Amino acid sequence: MISLLLLCSLIAPSITPDQSLMQPLLPLSIHQWKAFGESRPYAGQEIFGYMDGAGEVYRAYDYRELLTQRYVHPSQGEILAEIFDMGSSRNAFGVFTYMQGRGPAVEIGQDGEYKNGLLCFWRGKYFVCVMTDNENEPAREAILELGVKVSEAIGQDGEKPEILHSLPKGRYLPNSLRYFRGKDILNTHYYLGEGNLLCLNEETEGVLVRLNEDRSYLLLVAYPDTEKADSACSTFVAGYMPDGANEGIVEKKPGKWTACVAEKRYVAVVFDVPDRERAVHSLESLKGRLP
Amino acid sequence: MSQLSITRRDFLRQAGASAVVAAAGMPLFAQQDLKKKARVVLIRDRNVIDGDGELRREILDKMFDEATARALDVKSPSEAWRQMVGPTDIVGIKTNVWRHLRTPLELEATMKQRIVAAGVKEENIGIDDRGVLSNPLFKRATALINARPMRAHHWSGVGGCLKNYIMFSPSPPDYHPDSCVDLGALWKLPAVEGKTRLNVLVMLTPQFHCLGPHHFDREYTWPYKGLLIGTDPVALDAVGLRILEAKRRVYFEEDSPVRPPAKHIAAAEKKHGIGFADPAKIELVKIGWEEGLLI
Repeated sequence: MISLLLLCSLIAPSITPDQSLMQPLLPLSIHQWKAFGESRPYAGQEIFGYMDGAGEVYRAYDYRELLTQRYVHPSQGEILAEIFDMGSSRNAFGVFTYMQGRGPAVEIGQDGEYKNGLLCFWRGKYFVCVMTDNENEPAREAILELGVKVSEAIGQDGEKPEILHSLPKGRYLPNSLRYFRGKDILNTHYYLGEGNLLCLNEETEGVLVRLNEDRSYLLLVAYPDTEKADSACSTFVAGYMPDGANEGIVEKKPGKWTACVAEKRYVAVVFDVPDRERAVHSLESLKGRLP
Repeated sequence: MSQLSITRRDFLRQAGASAVVAAAGMPLFAQQDLKKKARVVLIRDRNVIDGDGELRREILDKMFDEATARALDVKSPSEAWRQMVGPTDIVGIKTNVWRHLRTPLELEATMKQRIVAAGVKEENIGIDDRGVLSNPLFKRATALINARPMRAHHWSGVGGCLKNYIMFSPSPPDYHPDSCVDLGALWKLPAVEGKTRLNVLVMLTPQFHCLGPHHFDREYTWPYKGLLIGTDPVALDAVGLRILEAKRRVYFEEDSPVRPPAKHIAAAEKKHGIGFADPAKIELVKIGWEEGLLI
């Protein structure tokens, strides 16, 4: 029993009133790396003091708190752990997809990637990064082990957004999937131009993927109701593809077709499709999968 | 909120609008006549980075000296430096210390040497990045040299000369909206305006792609082995962006502009009036290694 208590105290330190609720997610040590100094929480605009402009991404996904902890080793480089409470599993999943594609997948959390000393994963309402600037085999093992421990401490999986069920399974590049709510995030992956042509806001959610067969883009946005979807579709067609306003389809550049349709409470758009028929087919088959 | 209150973001928008009005009547950037083209010197040397990835200082120095003289259209680098700074100047070198791709220490050392050779006392030269606002020397600076590597940036499209001055703002997040479109306004801040003598956009191993904050992967850099040097930060960034996008086209085998688009470069000309982004207003001088030039 004594050894069990000792083990618990090493894995999940108790929290004091001024500590973050995420504190128990961080182990005190990993292999020969020991937590150095106090963990540091950040909330709201404080994130800019920690990571400058990078904080905008987490703010766009409505992060609640960031907790950081340094780990030091007698003869190796530091390891840094960052745990973001994203408020919901949708946001945690979203911020993971914002930057996915950085490295090969690892089985940590619900989805994870590791490359060059950087591990990123999400589980439940948390997004986690563990990293070092001095990657070698011991550091790599420690980072992955630390990730496993944090994931275990989180304990519970979260639901992925329902909108993903409408995507054509197996027909898109998994690493190209981006889940988002606002236009700023969409614009970093596919730029639609000035303004907010799809009327994206905190009530909407969207997913963007690249299709395998022709590398075209498929965008699906969910609105609170049919009326808002219809209105957004009209705004988008008028602003982005005025030449195809009547039919909702246009050849923006030679061999690059864009088509848009509103169906139920959704707006679906395909970009950069090589021919008209495929563009129409993509949207028609998507319509059939909408709930 | 009172209707009379004004936020910093409102101020940025209004500053931009007044710049457009002002640009019609007078030159807004000190060392450049609006009627002339902005000269940008692109110099490359295939040997500046050796087979082990090490920077060869003697070649870097030669490139830097030659390009500086050409940028200022004078016969020698020493003449160029004497035009830029003098014994009474206090000179801040605004560097960039991002851990994955920083301004080379060798370049910082060379710039400092050249400034000393032009007559500036060594104790009146400072090198800083994140601490410029609190650095006593930068507070007194009469002249600035701006030097940083070019890289893709997930929020502003690219990080180049214009973005390098964000540390002069007491509130950097004010410049984040709309893909950091108003970075040009930084150059009107009192700590900066009219002080920049030279801009160096380091293109030795630029980063042409990134996925999210702080992302760095050598896969997305390449040994371009170049420097872009000039007095117009907008023109340097505009040329650097064209090279990055050309590299992306080659790498991704399709048209692949940086995302989000680097709006701040065009806006720095059209809205803030601090330089030229339009290729028709840029005189690009190419020196040295031509293979893989991309522009």
